[in-house]
Amino acid sequence: MERRSPLRTHLAVVVAALVACRGSEHASPSPRGGAAALTVSDDAGRLVALAQPARRIVSLSPAVTELLFALGVGDRVVGRTTWCDYPPVVRLVPSVGDGLNPSLEAIAARRPDLVVLYRSPLNETAAAQLTRLGSAAVVLRQDRLEDVARAARLLGRLAGRPAAGDSLADSLSRLLAAPAPPSGRRLAFVVWDNPPIVIGAGSYLDQLATLAGAENVFHDIGAASAAVALETIVTRDPDVIVVVSDSVEPRPPALARRPEWRVIRAVREGRFVYLVGSLFGRPGPRAGVAAAELRRLLGQLTR
Amino acid sequence: MKWLGLGLVAVAAFLGGVVLGPVHVPLAGLAASDIVRTLRLPRAVLAFLVGGSLALSGAGLQALVRNPLADPFLLGLSGGAGLGAVAAIALHLASPWALPLAAFAGALGATALVYRLALVGGGELDPRVLILAGVAVGAFAAAVTTAIVSLSDASELRNTFLWLWGGLSGASWDTVLVLGAYLPLPLAVLFAAARPLDLLALGEEPARHLGADVEALKRRVFVAASLLAAVCVAVSGVIGFVGLVVPHAMRTLWGHRHRPLLPAAFLGGGALLALSDTVARIAVAPRELPVGIVTALVGVPVFALLLRRWTAS
Repeated sequence: MERRSPLRTHLAVVVAALVACRGSEHASPSPRGGAAALTVSDDAGRLVALAQPARRIVSLSPAVTELLFALGVGDRVVGRTTWCDYPPVVRLVPSVGDGLNPSLEAIAARRPDLVVLYRSPLNETAAAQLTRLGSAAVVLRQDRLEDVARAARLLGRLAGRPAAGDSLADSLSRLLAAPAPPSGRRLAFVVWDNPPIVIGAGSYLDQLATLAGAENVFHDIGAASAAVALETIVTRDPDVIVVVSDSVEPRPPALARRPEWRVIRAVREGRFVYLVGSLFGRPGPRAGVAAAELRRLLGQLTR
Repeated sequence: MKWLGLGLVAVAAFLGGVVLGPVHVPLAGLAASDIVRTLRLPRAVLAFLVGGSLALSGAGLQALVRNPLADPFLLGLSGGAGLGAVAAIALHLASPWALPLAAFAGALGATALVYRLALVGGGELDPRVLILAGVAVGAFAAAVTTAIVSLSDASELRNTFLWLWGGLSGASWDTVLVLGAYLPLPLAVLFAAARPLDLLALGEEPARHLGADVEALKRRVFVAASLLAAVCVAVSGVIGFVGLVVPHAMRTLWGHRHRPLLPAAFLGGGALLALSDTVARIAVAPRELPVGIVTALVGVPVFALLLRRWTAS
């Protein structure tokens, strides 16, 4: 996990440069108005009002942390989750623990004026409690690329960088509108082996496959993920099995040696692609990089 | 007539598991199909053996503790198996092979503890203490499991629960081989205990007077039934309902004599799980349902029918 691949270092440089650009481009002062100059409605339908742009932000999801850095306000992040690992410099920010069912005390100790939460029922309760404790809390859906575009606009406004937020959102929308030309690659994302669980159309990974010019053979399943029978995977016959993991060492998963999995052609022929969770597993400002990298990895495989 | 009917149901359930699936395989191509030979056939065999073993284990335990609510899981086994699996995942040992082994170790550990607790009052295995010990050990294991789960990260947690739900997706000839190695001995012990179990149903004193070695019988049946359930949990996770209800369903047809009841429970349990697994695979294809949901959905109406017939007669 700690070993930094050349790719990640390279990405860090690129994003740092992007952050720097955005920072200078949109350095104009934020609009200031009356008592509650900044009012937005979040993805839980709550109205969030700030008297002035947020100065101390606790981010409770890795995607939002990336987003805040991409908006050029990374220096205002005063709290993060254990799972926030990008950009690498964020490791210097104190962790407040988990992003789901978070520790309210650990968050309050960072004295934030804005807390950004991932949308889930538990977190909506936490958001209400944080509001009572005196910190504005905004709940954002972060499951698909569209969600991230919307979150970029919204956080841009709350941080007093509306132009940066809009430009990031527009670039994500442009990315979504112009997927790479279809390469004819058919893939299946396998996230668990017993029962076999695959990624369906509801997931960000399915979007990523489309953006990379590939086809998810389980695109007909509307949910983000679903258990399927092995024989269904055999019959859909993907060219590649894509495995998302946190480990840096790409090596065939244990299922590759199991006889019942070897009925699948891609498994038998060892056609696996390994994606690191921190880049591929979460929708965020690096989606374009992730899509291009997936396309490159798929292109490396022989037909 | 009853036997013929049950036999036909069992054969039909097994064949259904081989012929039917989310993917259409033409009948003529069944024998040559990789899908059938490597996936469906071992899965149908596994479903049948696991279902039969769970039901047989339940029938044995119900007779042993003379309590209609007894099943392998009331006696702390599922708790122990779940704890073993969760511990393996928390220690990052969760390969497809390590997980069942850890569950097996956990279930055996729980069995040993329950057995030891039930002997606390002296040298005799007291059925009431056995149930209490099972519930206590199960609760303790569940508490430790929950502690580990709440301290581990979200994806690991999800995976554990998926496994605990139970299912037969891990079926291969390897898992059938595991069953083949572990099942024969406890199966033979339980089938051989049919007559003494009938005597035990009269009460421990009468059974003793009629010449049964009651203590040895209780130990043999408890260990054999636990081993059966532990092996099942190890290869297919926690599948509820079969071990509890199938023995009762078979009692409505065959009465309380264990000579016919035990084989009937084995066939009935096997048929129910094989049928349920087929439904789980095809009902919402291409998605798959957890088989434990289907055993209850299929089994409860059948059980209600049998119960009505039984109480009416």
